[in-house]
Amino acid sequence: MFKTNQSLFKLFWICMCLVSVNVFAQSDYRNNNELTNALKQLKSKHSANVKLQSLTKTIGGHDIWALTLFKGKPEDNPAIAIVGGVDGSLLLSREMAVNIAENILTNHKDVLDNTTFYIFPNMSPNASEQYFSKLKYHKLGNAKKTDDDRDGLTNEDTFEDLNNDGLITLIRVEDVTGNYIKLKEDERVMIKANPQEGELGTHKVFSEGIDNDKDGKYNEDGDGGVHFNKNLTYNFPYFQPGAGEHAVSEKEHRALLDFLYEQWNIYAILTLGPENNLSNPLKYNAANARKRVVASILKDDEALNKFLSKKYTKITGTKDAPNANGKGGDFFEWSYFHFGKLAMSTPGWWAPKFKGDSTIKAKKNYKANFLQWAEAEDLSNYFVDWKEVNHPDFPNKKVEVGGIAPFVMTNPPYSMVEDISKKHTDFVLEISKMQPNISIENVTTEKVDNGLTRVTLNIHNKGLLPTHTEMGKRSRWLRRIKVDVKLDKSQEVISGKKIQLINSIDGDSSEELTWLIKGKGSLTIEAGAAHTGADKTTINLK
Amino acid sequence: MLMVPLAINAQKAEDIFRAAGSPHNPKVQISFNKYYTAEGLAAISKKIAEAHPNLVRRESIGKSTEGRDIWMMAITNYKVGDADRKPGFYIDGNIHSNEIQGAEISTYTAWYLTENFGDVDYVTNMLNDRIFYIVPTINPDARNNYMKEANTGSSPRAGMIPLDDDRDGLFDEDGLEDLDGDGSVTRMRRKNPNGNMIVDPKDPRMMIQIGPDDIVTTQRYEFLGSEGIDNDGDGLVNEDRPGYYDPNRDWAWKWQPDYIQRGAYKYPFSAPETRAVADFVLKHPNIAGAQSFHNSGGMILRGPGAEEDASTYNRADVAIYDAIGKKGEKMLPGYRYMVVYKDLYSVFGGELDWFYGGRGIYTFTNEIFSSFAYYKTKDRDPNQMYNFEKDLLMGDAFTEWKPYNHPTYGEIEIGGFRKNIGRATPGFMLEEELHRNMAFTFYHAFHMPLLSIDSIKEKKLGGGLTEVTAYIKNSRLMPTHASQDLKYNITRPDYISIKGAKVVAGMIVTNEDFGVTEEQKTNPETLRVRNIPGNSIVKVRWIIKGNSSYTITVDSEKGGIVSSK
Repeated sequence: MFKTNQSLFKLFWICMCLVSVNVFAQSDYRNNNELTNALKQLKSKHSANVKLQSLTKTIGGHDIWALTLFKGKPEDNPAIAIVGGVDGSLLLSREMAVNIAENILTNHKDVLDNTTFYIFPNMSPNASEQYFSKLKYHKLGNAKKTDDDRDGLTNEDTFEDLNNDGLITLIRVEDVTGNYIKLKEDERVMIKANPQEGELGTHKVFSEGIDNDKDGKYNEDGDGGVHFNKNLTYNFPYFQPGAGEHAVSEKEHRALLDFLYEQWNIYAILTLGPENNLSNPLKYNAANARKRVVASILKDDEALNKFLSKKYTKITGTKDAPNANGKGGDFFEWSYFHFGKLAMSTPGWWAPKFKGDSTIKAKKNYKANFLQWAEAEDLSNYFVDWKEVNHPDFPNKKVEVGGIAPFVMTNPPYSMVEDISKKHTDFVLEISKMQPNISIENVTTEKVDNGLTRVTLNIHNKGLLPTHTEMGKRSRWLRRIKVDVKLDKSQEVISGKKIQLINSIDGDSSEELTWLIKGKGSLTIEAGAAHTGADKTTINLK
Repeated sequence: MLMVPLAINAQKAEDIFRAAGSPHNPKVQISFNKYYTAEGLAAISKKIAEAHPNLVRRESIGKSTEGRDIWMMAITNYKVGDADRKPGFYIDGNIHSNEIQGAEISTYTAWYLTENFGDVDYVTNMLNDRIFYIVPTINPDARNNYMKEANTGSSPRAGMIPLDDDRDGLFDEDGLEDLDGDGSVTRMRRKNPNGNMIVDPKDPRMMIQIGPDDIVTTQRYEFLGSEGIDNDGDGLVNEDRPGYYDPNRDWAWKWQPDYIQRGAYKYPFSAPETRAVADFVLKHPNIAGAQSFHNSGGMILRGPGAEEDASTYNRADVAIYDAIGKKGEKMLPGYRYMVVYKDLYSVFGGELDWFYGGRGIYTFTNEIFSSFAYYKTKDRDPNQMYNFEKDLLMGDAFTEWKPYNHPTYGEIEIGGFRKNIGRATPGFMLEEELHRNMAFTFYHAFHMPLLSIDSIKEKKLGGGLTEVTAYIKNSRLMPTHASQDLKYNITRPDYISIKGAKVVAGMIVTNEDFGVTEEQKTNPETLRVRNIPGNSIVKVRWIIKGNSSYTITVDSEKGGIVSSK
């Protein structure tokens, strides 16, 4: 009896929860539990097309989820990987990753006939939870204890919320030895004084907190952890705070990379992260591309990047993106320079430029302009007004706390998330339409003489995208296109190769192959690779 | 032999006359004129650990790809000091599967240290002051593969993770075969009227290349490569062998992917064996010196591995490397002290690069054995290996050419040098090679920092205040922080602290004669000194109040802990 009651009770609550999800519109970013529940709901609603697995548990105890969207067998179709939360402060990226999955499953399931999706919504679950805690600040690290300033002490100088507003902003200290001044067009913004312009510093500026270890630096060694987007192998920033003791040192990095390295069908990776080569394509530099340690996008890939960027800008209707290049150790650059895949990255959103009108002039400074935009959009809580506090490190000085609130400059108001997600879904669908697609075309057989047949055909890439990026041609992690002539024992290849490997085929291009085959009956020729799609044809020998 | 109880092997002391420099009546008997498999090595290290419980802790630092334990012996005098706080010296061997001697050097070193402790002062002091972390093989799977499976003297180099070398979607589908069943992969040749080789009429083991003006009246041959068949029918023989990745391209300092650095695997420490070593080293910041063993060529190598990384090694550290390396050239006749990128090849992701670049540990790699050993001469004779094999190995290392019917090539002949010559030191020379290499590592280990509190001076300042100056001495070549370490603060500063006294101020004395000091305003009881250089003295000073007695302690990650009493 009791058991039954309990089950009923549970059922009641489950129903209530489902109802509440459906009835109340989400008004703020979802935390890890809510996102995990959303993933589980997708899995139960679309069980034939979804695989949900935890790649690992981080040392902070969070699951790293991998969501596979597929029809048939996941590995049978070329795949796009979508990676969110590479930067824990970009809450949007996690939401977008889940929303894209949901959009595909709900509105575009047919895309799974040709494309598999591997979606990793959040690579920084420990960091992103900071947004939902009492004290909000941009956190990027995992739960690993790190000595960020490498002084032998761990976490000895963290932030303090001096004005008790639950946000870490800035402190400014009136001090002629400081080298900051108030921005003229908006005195709320602090900028570095420029002596070339005759400016003399009036303030010192630090992040909000006290100098706990009295080393003259503020909050330089809090609960830092290893940043996901700083711990990969390309241009790894050795011994920088957040980088880790060596590249790929953390469980979540190894779990993700091990997973990706084993999915031979992946041809493209979309990083939802701070870097943005979809708005500002990478530029080719001949000298850097020639170096042994390649430091520039390769020439063919530059053209490809430009092409993708045009598509992205058109589909998402975005503009004025700030330049955002990789800073070393980041996932996006790894996905291109070290993995060789078609690599795309976008933060998905950035504060639009406030253009001004006849009454209000647009300000030039990026932060001041952002404040104008936020005001025009009627956002709330985007700025903490400067307020004087008593600061133990500056007993006789005027110290104020204030500044732009964390998260607001890099994450849109939640009401915009749905539309942004929809546009990015459309972009992803466009990529899948253009994906490499190997087919066998123009098969001809000629009788040469008794028992000898000449077979000629085209291995064609029907897709707009090349089978391999120029970088991917070099990578051992993209297979070559394999053409295999399956013979029976009575048949023999007289000219041509039984098995041959083609390095790559450009978009809408083909390669002609020919064989002389001795024997009778029929045989099969197969062509393709895991990430290019495959085709086969049956040949009747003449 | 390993199964025989210890008591039977130990001979009566009166029946033995000690040869200088070698343990004459060891507790553990080991033959050093042969090589051991991974299991053989594991059994020996177990015996050494069991025979010397106060000197050896044996533990597995991880599992290999195929699940074997990677055994490590931590050797020190456990009755003196805190073992893992003594300056540590790390030794491993066999990172490349076929480069086997390192495991025997490591084993010999463990045996020599334990059997001579208490008898030879140098060894006793070494184990009182230092700890040795010895991992005979960091590649046990592929060591066994080299010994037991179809291989040449140069294969396999990789570990045992299967990889798709030709990017055709199949893994390790076309490896070598020992077609003639002699235990080695030798060579294939075929009679061919248009071939460019003939058999040497004076020595049927040898083949001679035909020159453009030669008039050939005898049978011509062509070479067909290493023994094997086209397993996958793609028209290529032996093109996708076990591996291929190179465990010595798997280390984290300036790691580069396979298209830049052939042999790299997925990411730094993506092979479980290298990962085990890295995790061990990260947990042991007391390791100040390290040595890895390869073969062959007779080299004492230091970094940088890559030309692009040349600036990582600065003058101060190069001077230390030079002092040890040049000593090594004397101790190891036929070996040359070399810099990897300049004198060998420019390479990323090597073990010695991570040890130095990533951890600030002075590290050498020795390439064991060279052709110098055949006749102890630097004069190169192209036939010396054939002569040596006949003169000194009595023909034990060559398989005579014999006919074989090959599925693709038809009637061929198979023969040639077996896998245990060319790189692996022949048995009768092995013990000397092990000993000399060990002695080189001892010289290196000896020069890890050795700290002491040389003296303490007191001066009354009046007002109940006393100025205490402590002179901290490092009496060996290496500093507590290599310059790479100082550049990146890899290991924390050395702590020099005073306990028991009421400290008013603390400072580092930079010029005693002119009274120049740098005060440490916060926490003056524990002075943070960035480095204690080799063969030098660091001076620190406190102003204390009152007359209580005090203890001064030096606590250095790589230099160990010493206290005044």
